Amino acid sequence: MKVRRRGGLIRLRFDGIESVLLYNLFDDLVEILRDGAGEVTHDPVQMRLFPAGYRDDEAAEDEFRALTDQSLRTERCDRARQCRAETADEPSELELTDEDGQRWIQVINDLRLALGTELHITEDDEPEIDLDDPDAQRRAIYYWLTGAQDSIVRTLMR
Amino acid sequence: MAGTLTPQREAAQQSDEQTKSDPDLPWITIVWNDPINLMSYVTHVFMTVFGYPKAKAEKLMLDVHRRGKAVVSSGTRERMELDVATLHGYGLWATLQHDS
Repeated sequence: MKVRRRGGLIRLRFDGIESVLLYNLFDDLVEILRDGAGEVTHDPVQMRLFPAGYRDDEAAEDEFRALTDQSLRTERCDRARQCRAETADEPSELELTDEDGQRWIQVINDLRLALGTELHITEDDEPEIDLDDPDAQRRAIYYWLTGAQDSIVRTLMR
Repeated sequence: MAGTLTPQREAAQQSDEQTKSDPDLPWITIVWNDPINLMSYVTHVFMTVFGYPKAKAEKLMLDVHRRGKAVVSSGTRERMELDVATLHGYGLWATLQHDS
């Protein structure tokens, strides 16, 4: 994926199946967000996407979660659906306003949080893929998303 | 983003009045280091959410990265709950606590 600023817009150009891949990833994310709705869960991905606001105060945390969880989940789901709709017809490029670009980096970040948690990513991990690793493909996708997100962030900051 | 949270903030304020301890002591929002969020992204989030200049946003990001955490804002409990919820919306690992 190539990212550049052009005429006030952010232009994403997709190679090969990249936009199909993104569509499927956005679809998976919508599913993950729907799965966790209305449940108290110990699933690591849900816990990473919806962390505690209070570390040491269970009553305050319960109250905080009751106030924020549903709207945050809805907001995440809505923006993932928007990105999914934008990639539905396998575009070779997309032009985004800065506001759209902001949404894209948040949705890609949500994807990286979900995938990175499943892959137990650590600070020391290198983007080198061991082909014997059963998670090789998912790791490759994770690192590709990392590069894509970083490119859009840097373009937004320019 | 703030728009969707505004009604909840009012609700939080109402319930808060019943349990509030010392209103003069400020609360703080802490961002914790994690291996997934990108340094560029975290800097961008601090600039976007708090309106911090790039130099300040980068310094806070580096504090999170090197020291494991940083205090990114302080104020009333309600304000910090809003900041934490906003940062959660960006995928940052944020918590609030009384600055004691």
